[in-house]
Amino acid sequence: MGKHKIVIAEDNSTLSLLLKFRLEKEGHELLMAVDGKEAIELIENNKPDLVITDIMMPFVSGLEVISHIRNKLALEIPIIVFSAAGQEEMVLKAFKLGANDFMGKPFSPNELVIRVNRLLS
Amino acid sequence: MIDYQYLIDYFEEFPFLIQLAWRISGLFLVAIFLLTIYLKVIRYHLRKKENEYKVFKNQYEALLVEYLYADEESEEAHTKQKAIISKIKSHIPIKYKRKMVLSVLYNLLNEVSGEMAESIKTLYYETGLIDYALTKLENKNWYVIAKGIGELRRFKIEESYGDIINFIEHSKKEVRNETQLYLVNLFRFDGLTFLNELKTPLSEWTQLQLLEVLQKFDDQQICDIKPWLKSKNDSVVLFALKLAQIYNQFEMKDILIELLSHDKKEIRICVIEVLTHLYGIEAKEMLKANFNELSIEEQISFFGLLEKLVVPSDEPFIEKHIFHKNFEIQLLALKILKTINLDKFMGLNKLSSNKKAPVMFKFVNNIS
Repeated sequence: MGKHKIVIAEDNSTLSLLLKFRLEKEGHELLMAVDGKEAIELIENNKPDLVITDIMMPFVSGLEVISHIRNKLALEIPIIVFSAAGQEEMVLKAFKLGANDFMGKPFSPNELVIRVNRLLS
Repeated sequence: MIDYQYLIDYFEEFPFLIQLAWRISGLFLVAIFLLTIYLKVIRYHLRKKENEYKVFKNQYEALLVEYLYADEESEEAHTKQKAIISKIKSHIPIKYKRKMVLSVLYNLLNEVSGEMAESIKTLYYETGLIDYALTKLENKNWYVIAKGIGELRRFKIEESYGDIINFIEHSKKEVRNETQLYLVNLFRFDGLTFLNELKTPLSEWTQLQLLEVLQKFDDQQICDIKPWLKSKNDSVVLFALKLAQIYNQFEMKDILIELLSHDKKEIRICVIEVLTHLYGIEAKEMLKANFNELSIEEQISFFGLLEKLVVPSDEPFIEKHIFHKNFEIQLLALKILKTINLDKFMGLNKLSSNKKAPVMFKFVNNIS
């Protein structure tokens, strides 16, 4: 599998670092954002192959990030969303906006890697 | 010097009140100046501490990730992990560093599952953080004990059960609450056995918290709630009634019917509501026979039960209470009558002499 550019938007810095470490080990290039605003900037400037975003984030939510990718930038790149327990409605909204996959927290980072590779293949 | 003397003389010639005002103003000026310096010093120290905190957090996060991904069978990885553990161990005697380590560990524990969550728990043990939490349980301050229990619950430390169970009847409700949450979070329905002997009240807030925790688990196989329904502790009975309703305990109907004659009105009302949910048709005739001896609240609850379990033979009873003194009962009676005999309901509408009644009839008539 070739080197892919992935944007991760996650406000938990430890989790971000953990995922960065894991996905870099798989050979991907990771771009990290701590909120939705930063994520949008990274996506606009770097044209990634995949976006992983949390739903609840400061300033701009994950839903707004998805909407921006699909409606404003009109990108067809795969999007994976993270959601905490009790955010089922948000997940449905995310799918309606164009998300491709979701993972409920707590999740296994190994499972995330499998899903990322599947979506990128 | 002469100028100063001139100023002092000039000042002393002022009336007393002016002098006082000047003195107070001077005092305030000095206080503002000192406080400004004090704030600057505090701000400097806080910023310094914040920067240190950020640096240490970044360092620690990197160490943690390294530890978690070094979990391989090789000797090299094992040595690396040991080195990380001893490095973290050297930091945790400092309180704010320990707090930071705990918050990073806990934040990650909330987000990941499986082997990684187990590794975080192992790290919690091996760095000795667990010992700090266990020491908190021996503290004389109740809030420290509560914090210790909360921490052990968050890290799911089952081994501390023996130490924590002793706090189940603690004089402070915050400690009791933490103990109860610990038991249910870690041992699920089995953790509820503390209810068998509980003498202190279980607050409504705690009950809701416990129910929320129980509903998160995949295994919803509830244990026997019979002893709690018979408890002498009213709050335990109320909690057991909530369990009976949520977990559809149809086999508890006999005990529930016995509870209809409980001393506490709140419990009797709650029992009627649970029986309504569980289709407790057996209780209906009993309540109908004693209807006039029931309190207004119980009567309203009973009409709630009738609304769900009504049969055509209940019509005379309903009709008898259509003009009950209580508005809610009147309304429920009309709604029920409309369900079982629409013609009679329409006929009553025309016959009614009560001025307010047509409005109510119209309202009930418009309810689908």
